[in-house]
Amino acid sequence: MLAYIIRRLLYAIPILIGVNLLTFTLFFVVNSPDDMAVSQLGEKYVTPEAIAAWKVKNGYDKPLFVNPDAAGVAAFTETIFFNKSVKLFAFDFGRSESGRDITTDVSTRMWPSLAVALPTFVIGIWVNICVALMVVMFHATRLDRWAVFLFVSLMSISYLFYIIGGQYLVAKTWRLVPVSGFHTDGQVWRFLILPVLVGVIAGIGSGARWYRTLFLEEANQDYVRTARAKGASEISILFRHILPNALIPILTGVVVLIPALFMGSLLIESFFGIPGLGSYMLDAIKSQDFAIVRTMVFIGSILYIIGLILTDISYTWADPRVRLN
Amino acid sequence: MKPVLLWSDALIFLLVIALILFFYRLRRDPQTRERWGQVFSSRLGMVTFTLIMTYVGIALLDSLHFRKALDNPESLQTEEVFYDNKVTSVLDILLQGMGERFERTYSAPFALMSFEKKNMRDAQGNDIRDFPPLKHAGTHLEDPSERGADILSRSLTALLWGLLLSAVVIAPQWLMLRTSANPWHASWAVQAAVLCFFTWLVSISHYYHVLGTDRGGADVAYQSLKGIRTGVLLGTLSTLVMLPIAVTLGVMAGYFKGWVDDLVQYLYTTLSSIPGILLIAASVLLFQVYIDLNPDFFSIGMEKADARFIALCFILGVTSWSSLCRLIRAETLKISQLGYVQAAHAFGVSHTRILSRHILPNVVHIILITFVLDFSALVLAEAVLSYIGVGIDPSMGSWGNMINGARSELSREPAIWWTLTGAFFFMFILVLAANLFSDLVRDAFDPRTAARRSEA
Amino acid sequence: MSTKKDIRMRIEGLRVELAESGVEILKGISLELEAGKVFALVGESGSGKSVTSMAAMRLLPDALKITGGSVQVGEQDLFDLSESKMQTVRGRRVAMIFQNAMTALNPVQTVGQQVAETLKLHTSLRADALRQRVVQLFTEVGIPDPAQRFSFYPHQLSGGQQQRVMIAMALACEPEVLIADEPTTALDVTIQEQVLQLIRELTRSRELAVLLITHDMGVVRNTADDVAVMYRGEIIERAPVDVFFHAPKEAYSRRLIDALPDLTQFQSAAIEEPLLELEEVKVHFPVRKGVLQRVVDVTRAVDGVSLKIGRGETYALVGESGSGKSTLGRAILNLEAVAGGSVRFNGVSIEHLGRRAMLPYRKQIQVIFQNPYSSMNPRMTVGEIIAEGMVSLGLGLDAVQRQERIDDLLTRVQLGPEYATRYPHEFSGGQLQRIAIARALAVNPELIICDEPTSALDVSIRSEVLDLLRALQQEFGVSYLFITHDLSIIPSLAHHVGVMQYGKLVEQGSAEQILTRPGHPYTQALLNSVPRMDP
Repeated sequence: MLAYIIRRLLYAIPILIGVNLLTFTLFFVVNSPDDMAVSQLGEKYVTPEAIAAWKVKNGYDKPLFVNPDAAGVAAFTETIFFNKSVKLFAFDFGRSESGRDITTDVSTRMWPSLAVALPTFVIGIWVNICVALMVVMFHATRLDRWAVFLFVSLMSISYLFYIIGGQYLVAKTWRLVPVSGFHTDGQVWRFLILPVLVGVIAGIGSGARWYRTLFLEEANQDYVRTARAKGASEISILFRHILPNALIPILTGVVVLIPALFMGSLLIESFFGIPGLGSYMLDAIKSQDFAIVRTMVFIGSILYIIGLILTDISYTWADPRVRLN
Repeated sequence: MKPVLLWSDALIFLLVIALILFFYRLRRDPQTRERWGQVFSSRLGMVTFTLIMTYVGIALLDSLHFRKALDNPESLQTEEVFYDNKVTSVLDILLQGMGERFERTYSAPFALMSFEKKNMRDAQGNDIRDFPPLKHAGTHLEDPSERGADILSRSLTALLWGLLLSAVVIAPQWLMLRTSANPWHASWAVQAAVLCFFTWLVSISHYYHVLGTDRGGADVAYQSLKGIRTGVLLGTLSTLVMLPIAVTLGVMAGYFKGWVDDLVQYLYTTLSSIPGILLIAASVLLFQVYIDLNPDFFSIGMEKADARFIALCFILGVTSWSSLCRLIRAETLKISQLGYVQAAHAFGVSHTRILSRHILPNVVHIILITFVLDFSALVLAEAVLSYIGVGIDPSMGSWGNMINGARSELSREPAIWWTLTGAFFFMFILVLAANLFSDLVRDAFDPRTAARRSEA
Repeated sequence: MSTKKDIRMRIEGLRVELAESGVEILKGISLELEAGKVFALVGESGSGKSVTSMAAMRLLPDALKITGGSVQVGEQDLFDLSESKMQTVRGRRVAMIFQNAMTALNPVQTVGQQVAETLKLHTSLRADALRQRVVQLFTEVGIPDPAQRFSFYPHQLSGGQQQRVMIAMALACEPEVLIADEPTTALDVTIQEQVLQLIRELTRSRELAVLLITHDMGVVRNTADDVAVMYRGEIIERAPVDVFFHAPKEAYSRRLIDALPDLTQFQSAAIEEPLLELEEVKVHFPVRKGVLQRVVDVTRAVDGVSLKIGRGETYALVGESGSGKSTLGRAILNLEAVAGGSVRFNGVSIEHLGRRAMLPYRKQIQVIFQNPYSSMNPRMTVGEIIAEGMVSLGLGLDAVQRQERIDDLLTRVQLGPEYATRYPHEFSGGQLQRIAIARALAVNPELIICDEPTSALDVSIRSEVLDLLRALQQEFGVSYLFITHDLSIIPSLAHHVGVMQYGKLVEQGSAEQILTRPGHPYTQALLNSVPRMDP
């Protein structure tokens, strides 16, 4: 088990290097350090000296990937790629192009993200399981068919409409909660209710449909037939046999998402004005801030890899048949 | 008139031809035929398929582009013909100028007056501030109070024409297919409904804005229709880009195993570990920078927008192959263990032949299921990307751009609901039809669900 | 015991049809289960024997519907009960055990809990008393360390132990009737015999009425008191077991019985020039461990096997699942890397030949696989399947000659040229296996490795395929390496027999010698579990 986790962690290193390589290549293909300097300094102040000074100050005065002037290993270490990557691996994210400290930004902004994403996630799974269970009880009836149709319809609505519609109905028409914003005073829940509600409802269609399929798959297994032959009632079969078995794929399927909850949701945060990492990313994309995008890509990859490892661990925990090796 | 062949036009027609050939070849295989038969033996399958075909048809009509010849002014003494800078499509012709009837700004559906007041001078020459009448709506009416009756009578006339047209379209199909076991009547009902709707829409659009106009005064119904091409093309072209990458790598990894497998797994784990939206955003921004740096590549604005659109398709394709690749790898691993591949090895059949004759044909069902499943997901993704600002070029009509432009309109007082409604309605129908259809396709082709069916 | 029959369950005129199409699946089944007796319902796949048992328990899937008849347990007609009343009958008065215990047990519940659940449903036992009762049941069905096994999960038990848990679960509430649906089919022969032994004992000791559903005449012979043969939804013959085996009335019954081995007649064993010689062949699979996944050990799947197969001879390689016999077959075909020893074909070492150098030998060594459904590419026609080897091995035939050969082969395997344009899914398992034989013969091989070619087939079809193989051997002089777990087919087919266990050949010799005078205890155990005609 321990050896397994260590091996997975080691495997994460080449992946993170690959991720960094990709983001670097993408950015520097069209956006050379000189272009960056020009756009940061502003057209007025551009002189060759100013550009050179900016590059030295921000650590862009070396070649990108390979330094032909240096010998041996230094040919690869005396480069922008190596220096910027090493700092990332040390969790030193540096400063954004506009001069803000990214590490501080990230550490303050992840809490609002989590405050929205975590309840959405937990309530969402719970609601989806309940809805799916109700539908499964009426399996092969007209009700079941209409429920599936409803799920597919809900899936077919763009997320944007859920947000816009939620804001219009709950906040504007009924005036139950503020349309958007975020304050960390005692009333923070007033700002959270609507985004969480929208997030949960938007997920019901695909979530409940998927869980229904999982439940039905389990309902076709042989052990369900055995339970019937024992004389167990349908309800007790559903809760004592089908549910525990179906929870394995459900739990292990969502575990990979848990670390990513820190990243928040791009759309929800920007619509509801929540100062989390989602809106941080969106702002960075819109202002083309490479330092932030690179950092977020890096953090996102780490969280995903942690998610993968957690998934494997959760298997051993949830399913007695699985042993890691 | 001078035809214009945009890159995306060429690609979509190539795709259509390829698909037709593909399905023609598949017909040879009785099992595949049987499965398709199962899809089309249900009314739902017929209805959704007809709806999807309607959308695809509109998209194709909208992909036949040309530039109109301009009448040379009298003063210019030359034989040379000048062409309009604006690109028109066959769909625009069929819609009979629906897209050319601009108002000044917002107007509600079927309204006669603009939505916003404007300073005007009345008949007596006094400056007043009132809702100005629309330029292209209800101008034929003598009295605004006749509007209701007018709409009703015109609708009924249009409906009659629509039914007539439907009869003409459906009659030959009926003659050919009336003995078929499949529920074609469901398809005909949808065809009739679609034809009636369009006859009505086109004819009544001469007199009213059915879905009102947006901030720039453009007809919302027209914009929603123009969004169809973008949605359909994005959904198909992106998958088309993704397929060869995913299939090649997946099959190779699953068949050769060893270091090839390690490499492919490394590639897709790396790719899928990057938050998708960031990767797409970064790539699109890059391409935008590239276009901005090379403005002289494109002679007309439409080509620039089209280039960005194709780039988006490529980016979506290149960034999203990992999940299909994973599926195909797993399936190939499974098939490689099966008796017929083992037997082929025992017969000394070459790798290329095993891959092309034994493995590929047996993963086609996964490709097919992914193709229909991803289609709706991509249409939905377009809206989100356009909202973030990394989607379709704003000059190109798309539902995402419509939503993006209209997102704060609901919070106005009174709310402007029609732009969002237009985008919602056209998008929802397409995605719903695609989702329902993909469910049927999966039921028919997924061995797991198929096995469950035969057990019962 | 009184002479009056003690009838526990009486099924009368049971009819079942497909809900959608109205096709009749059961056409009026009647039978009686007597206390202390095992009633065997025999039939091949699709005969409706399992449907009968599920219908009696009212556990049919939605696609099937009961249209007539009655099932009486004591004075109760089960078809008159409400569903909730029915639940008190299932597990309490009528209990069931199923074919594959591994999947029939809930994988995430401990076996103790699963047995306890039955008791909780039907008795007032709780807590410690409940646990004690379960342990007591485990002891009764012969599970070792019953107290510890209580908290084991199904996957931690062996196949035989899993089936014992199933039996414990079924017997927990002391039912009057036990329905056993192919209870031993998924088990190895030696385990099979133990489980049947247990069922026999429990039938006597608990005065159970048992309905045993099986396709295996050997099981019937060794276990049942009465037997009924089912064919296409009807019972065509019914008799006490001794009467049945000595004087079956129906031709179909006769065929089923004939599939049982006759241990008096053997193929004469005369080894001539050896065609294939294996010398100390080893196949190892690496075991990786630790952070760096270093190879720390190997699994010795085949651990030094030596044998000879003569020209025109059949060598039967016998062993239970996991003994390494299929791996050995794959190693001979050069589809598995050989870790040591040599494989000599016609005197030439072929075990280290590369892909290209192996090609000439691929013409001479061919293979037939166990599962006929997965051994044909579903997207190719039968003609293309048979032609594939001729094309890739370059037999030097043009298209017309190939077609002639395909037609000829299809005729020889008793199908006919018109089948060449059909696709595999249109054929039954037996027909597919004939096509597989034709495919192997297409390249004129000298040796065909038959990897359990008949184990997925029904008994009556099994003998047809074996007859065909034997006839082709006489015609073409081809040798077979016949890999099987089923000793009963050996007398009619094999000249030599080798017995494999844990990757080693524990005994080999002529068929007669092995089957009549086995030397190794494992061979004896295998042989004891084989049902036979002579007493």
